Amino acid sequence: MQGIVLALLACLLLALITKRFALPTIPFYIIAGLVLGKSGLDLVGGDAVSAFLTHLGLLFLLFFMGLEIKPDRIWKNQSAIVSSGLIDLNINVIIGFLAAFALGFPLFDALVVAAAFFISSTAMAVTSLIENRKLLMRESETIVWLMVFEDIVVILILVFIGPQMDHPLAILIKTLIVLVILLMIIRVGKDHIIWVLKRDDELPVLLTFSVVLGISALSLYLGIPESFMVIAFGTMLGTIDPVSFEVQSRPFKDVFLVIFFVFFGITVNLFAEGISLLTLAAISITAVFSKYVSGIAIGRLIHKNAHSGIEIWANTISRGEFSIAIAALYGSAVVSSAIAFMVIVTSIIGAFAAKYSGRIGKVFVRPPRTVREDDAARLT
Amino acid sequence: MALRSINLPGIGTKYELETEKNDTIAVFFLKSGNIQMYTLQNGCQTPSVAELSAQEARRLGSILTGAIMEADQESVEFAVSALSDLRITIHTYVVRKSVAGKSIEELQIRAKTGVTIIAISRGDKNVINPPADFVFQEGDTLVAIGESDQLKRFERDIMVT
Repeated sequence: MQGIVLALLACLLLALITKRFALPTIPFYIIAGLVLGKSGLDLVGGDAVSAFLTHLGLLFLLFFMGLEIKPDRIWKNQSAIVSSGLIDLNINVIIGFLAAFALGFPLFDALVVAAAFFISSTAMAVTSLIENRKLLMRESETIVWLMVFEDIVVILILVFIGPQMDHPLAILIKTLIVLVILLMIIRVGKDHIIWVLKRDDELPVLLTFSVVLGISALSLYLGIPESFMVIAFGTMLGTIDPVSFEVQSRPFKDVFLVIFFVFFGITVNLFAEGISLLTLAAISITAVFSKYVSGIAIGRLIHKNAHSGIEIWANTISRGEFSIAIAALYGSAVVSSAIAFMVIVTSIIGAFAAKYSGRIGKVFVRPPRTVREDDAARLT
Repeated sequence: MALRSINLPGIGTKYELETEKNDTIAVFFLKSGNIQMYTLQNGCQTPSVAELSAQEARRLGSILTGAIMEADQESVEFAVSALSDLRITIHTYVVRKSVAGKSIEELQIRAKTGVTIIAISRGDKNVINPPADFVFQEGDTLVAIGESDQLKRFERDIMVT
């Protein structure tokens, strides 16, 4: 208990400092964890309570992600999402996998690293676009759709890689049946749910908290992929009243996610199994580089312009919440340490790259054409 | 003048307007509740950006509808589409010396102009639906409702004389 309090206080202090300098908070939560935990001073260790709170953080992250997913909107924008998304997926997964494999990771571990490599931080990308006032850029729409595509890939990973107790087909059928039943319950109970959400007592928040935990418990009981079910249920509830569920679940997400990040740092042994600083650095630098390759490729394809590629690169360098989630779910000790290090390095480099992308662009590629010419190029 | 709007997941709603002179104005309603407004001059590469609170945005909106006479007098006009596009304007005025000391009844506001005074603000106090014998003081801010023609008459015949 004292450990959790200590960790939270450290995070609060760091958040106060980082927000002042407009830096992303996630890497600093992990650093705080590394300093307090196994890899550092060894003041705080994980226990059953912290494990439960960490689990809640992950659940609310996924639930929140589910609320944001609008199947109809994705369907309408498929063309925008798929082409750039596939480039991003192929380049980063291949580079990530090859790098990890070359550095001596076993096959499965290399795949986990590749997945974490691919998934940029949606939270950091969105925040950097807003705070650096880049929403008007043509590239920002591309970046937003890239994040949507990456989220879909995360969901697929969560469905297909999991602790498999049954035959995959049996799990699939069970999952589908549960989804249909949930969908029917939501259809029938829609008016009641809206009635509960409109109240101003403890009912809306109690409902939100218990449905998230309830779905998790149900999935574990039935042996179906828990993370996927939480996302899917979030998406379903999002069709009723996304704003109100977001408002209710945000405080849970915010605080439990901080615990999730700091305890991830605490439980990671940065130099597990003798992994060298050089290997960690090599992975992180490759992670920055691979998004450069994919960013430039997407910029050239969608905007016919390498400068756009620099913008896309700068805003997608940061890996964050989903990479950590992948590590927490599937990573061995070595993989977790590699991903923790990569998230810290990429998100700090990413924060500065996003801020100074204009200047970086001028150094690396020829000056961009004006937006108007860019439009003309797109129309012809 | 092409206007397009799009919903950006995680960010909010974007409205982009291209003016006849090829300048671009984009407005983003962010999830945080704030509004970012970008203006990009034709041929320019870097837009200038202002971030507004919802209240500031509404104020800017009423300025852009062209209804403001002076900084402390503003109005909103809205159409009630259910009532065959009935257009109603609400306007604020500051009471000047010429009107001070007279009551609503004395001025015959409704009989002469058709305008109704719906609220008066004096210092930090507000009077909603003031009675007919309400006496104005210099510096009161009043809120009047009516059609825009009626309000023009009100402004010309009562507030100015």
